[in-house]
Amino acid sequence: MRPDLNDPAWAWAPFQPDAARPWDLRLAAHLYRRAAFGGTWPELQRALSDGPQATIDKLVNPKPGAADFDRLYDDYENAAAASSGYGSQAWWLRRMIESPQPLQEQLTLFWHNHFGISNVHVKHNASLFRHAHVLRQRGMGSFEALLDAVLAQPAVWICLGARDNGRRSLSESAVRILMEQYALGPGQCSDSDVREGARALSGWIVTQGELRFVPGEYDAAPKKILGQEGDFDRKALVRILANHPATGHWLAQKLVRWFISDTAKASESLLAPLAKQLTGDGSTAKGVEILLRSNLFFSAEAYRQKVRSPVELALGIIRPLEGRTGTVRLAADLAGLGQELYEPPTLQGWAGGLAWINPLTTLGRMRLAEALLAESGTYEGKLDPGAVVSRHGQTTKDGGRQFLAELYLQGDLAAETLAAVAVAPSTTGSTAARSADPRQIAAHLASLPEFQLA
Amino acid sequence: MKGSMHISRRDFFKETAGATSLLAFGSSIPAFLARSASAVEAGQASRESVLVVIQLSGGNDGLNTVVPYQDDAYHRSRPTLRIGPEQALKLDSSLGLHPAMPAFRKLYQEGRLSIIQGVGYPRSSRDHDAAMEDWHTGVLREQVLPGARTGWLGRAVDTACDPGKTDLRGVFVGEIKAPFSMHTERVVVPSIKSLEEWLPTGASWSDSTRAHDSDPLPSASTGSSFLLAGVRRATANARLIQPRLIAASHALHSQNLAAYPPFPLAENLATVAQLIRADLGIRIYFVELGGGGIGGFDTHANQAANHGALLRELAESTSAFVDDLNHDRLLDSVLVMTFSEFGRTLSESGRRGTNHGAAAPMFMIGGRVKGGLWGAHPSLTDIEEDAPKFHTDFRRVYATVLERWLKLKSEKILAPGFAPLDGVLA
Repeated sequence: MRPDLNDPAWAWAPFQPDAARPWDLRLAAHLYRRAAFGGTWPELQRALSDGPQATIDKLVNPKPGAADFDRLYDDYENAAAASSGYGSQAWWLRRMIESPQPLQEQLTLFWHNHFGISNVHVKHNASLFRHAHVLRQRGMGSFEALLDAVLAQPAVWICLGARDNGRRSLSESAVRILMEQYALGPGQCSDSDVREGARALSGWIVTQGELRFVPGEYDAAPKKILGQEGDFDRKALVRILANHPATGHWLAQKLVRWFISDTAKASESLLAPLAKQLTGDGSTAKGVEILLRSNLFFSAEAYRQKVRSPVELALGIIRPLEGRTGTVRLAADLAGLGQELYEPPTLQGWAGGLAWINPLTTLGRMRLAEALLAESGTYEGKLDPGAVVSRHGQTTKDGGRQFLAELYLQGDLAAETLAAVAVAPSTTGSTAARSADPRQIAAHLASLPEFQLA
Repeated sequence: MKGSMHISRRDFFKETAGATSLLAFGSSIPAFLARSASAVEAGQASRESVLVVIQLSGGNDGLNTVVPYQDDAYHRSRPTLRIGPEQALKLDSSLGLHPAMPAFRKLYQEGRLSIIQGVGYPRSSRDHDAAMEDWHTGVLREQVLPGARTGWLGRAVDTACDPGKTDLRGVFVGEIKAPFSMHTERVVVPSIKSLEEWLPTGASWSDSTRAHDSDPLPSASTGSSFLLAGVRRATANARLIQPRLIAASHALHSQNLAAYPPFPLAENLATVAQLIRADLGIRIYFVELGGGGIGGFDTHANQAANHGALLRELAESTSAFVDDLNHDRLLDSVLVMTFSEFGRTLSESGRRGTNHGAAAPMFMIGGRVKGGLWGAHPSLTDIEEDAPKFHTDFRRVYATVLERWLKLKSEKILAPGFAPLDGVLA
């Protein structure tokens, strides 16, 4: 029987497994795909014995050593930002692969997509890295603190076309993006709100790549924004936006799209409880936690209802195999498939969903899977599915076919499809040859349509 | 799979498109495959028009590309770089091509090359990045917020695509990062170095998934399988085109095709020709000459040898591409357009080079161009800051290509008011 998805009480209640929705490998892997870019076999097994809520505790709570890890990778990325090329992106990908807190990286990517700040316009690796650093440090906290910190960096102002002359540094179209696209959602501001908002943001000027406040350029006269009156400055505007109910609603909608489904249309009443959590000083981490724990998250509305972005595809191949691989070339390959980190196409972020997929990107995705898993070549055979099969004491007969299918697709394949994985077509007079090479089996599994879904 | 080299479209469809796969998709057969299949039946291909844009990075010296070899001001201003009547490859009594471009003169004589002269825009920038951004976006910088900008070809691709349909309409082929022209908002434009590096190489596994294409995920999902259906459709199409592309990739190295010269641009254009031949529904291709950044055509010093080598690469690579397409009677559906961010100064600098300028010519090449010179060569006595003035806005050239070639509405992609040029396309 299908539960009522428009019943918020059911949708947001913590998921309790029952006979209809047992806690099994599929749901454990679903959780790890969405919250951690994919799970290893030990992680999935541990999740099965811990149960869903305890597993989520582990994913959302800070790990000891996580702060040290972040500092180390900040240093790496800072150093890489000094040079051009794919260095910065490579370090972020490496961080996603290795992080003890992958959910933080998933949320950093969410915010990167939300603000849509691109180095194509900023043209300065270090500024982009500082922007991403803010997203990582503040992305779990309140939206008010995040938006405030984002607006304290030059990158966003440059992408919004801040000019270094005149009292109003941002044009009204830029202010509309800032108020609506970043906070309230489309169609929520009148022209007058935007004009007054622009006055609140006056005085901030980007010169020589740095954001500065020039008091003489600030318009201190009283303003009326979204029904409130006062001599609002930038900080006050951020407070007004973050506390407006429309903002919580818009962020809830975007988080549901990101963590639950590319296609689901969530009603206003369904989103209301999540929206409330995300408004004002409510923490985003708490909102994400509600989301991950929910019946909705573990329902058929969510299961395999997202297309893996190129980053998620690569991570979904790499992370379950407990390995690491070169990420400089990976960053370039992902750019070729349409997702260059630090360069989302516009302020709207990546289109996502089926936009990732066309016949040529499909072939390119297959090639990436093959290259990542090949014994030699571009990625130097660093991932080793055969070793993973043996490590977990699974039968290596038939190349560990069954085990790798469980690890990558958790039985989401028709038996006939699985039987035909890595089988060469039969030629006249000979029987079909079934490969027993774990690398070939894994590469074929990762090329299947089912694997393209998160 | 069946041996590689000469798998013809007819054989291919006999084997793969016949009774099994296309039927399995019923009404969801993508238009380009259905069209190809019916075209095979009819014994001929009817193709949509294809645009190939070649970017000349760095600011090409228009005056030494299409040379006013009789002009006194030209000779006076360029004591070492000038190309005289005895070297210029004459197009008429006053203009000639750079001596490294006999391949282009041949195309000109055959009526396959149009030269649009004096192209530029008002208050054009002489800064590489800013000028390139103008040419890439096709809108003036102050009109769109930086973060909201897209490329003019990217908008054409976005316009021509239905995102839910997993369409493929544009591709960048090259070693550098895809230039901003192809920057889309709604769909992905793949960036391909070569087919060899893009296509899966391993054994081509028998495609058992096809038999189960309509199965839902066995998780008994009651949710929509819209996404899975979309990915499966794209995967099925990928498997249909893969043999064609592999055949094309092998054919690239065979002796039987037109010989491409050993230049990177030629290699990229050969890849484009293979993609065109494979008939994937791609309408817009983008390639680049000069390296993308500064360098390339940015000939501030010792211009003569570098510029000649680049123009030779351009002319010979493009001409080989034309021959290749013509060999398969595909040239009538293909239009090549070149552009650069600006021309260069009339005067030679002390370092035997030229500095950033303004107006310059653009080449249009294909089976259905009118051929010949379009517009007057800019005056070299009425100049602005040492560079020829434009008489034709580059967005009118873009509008010509969008309206008259790709059959897209240009006012949605550029802005209203840029009238297409008459007399460029046949």
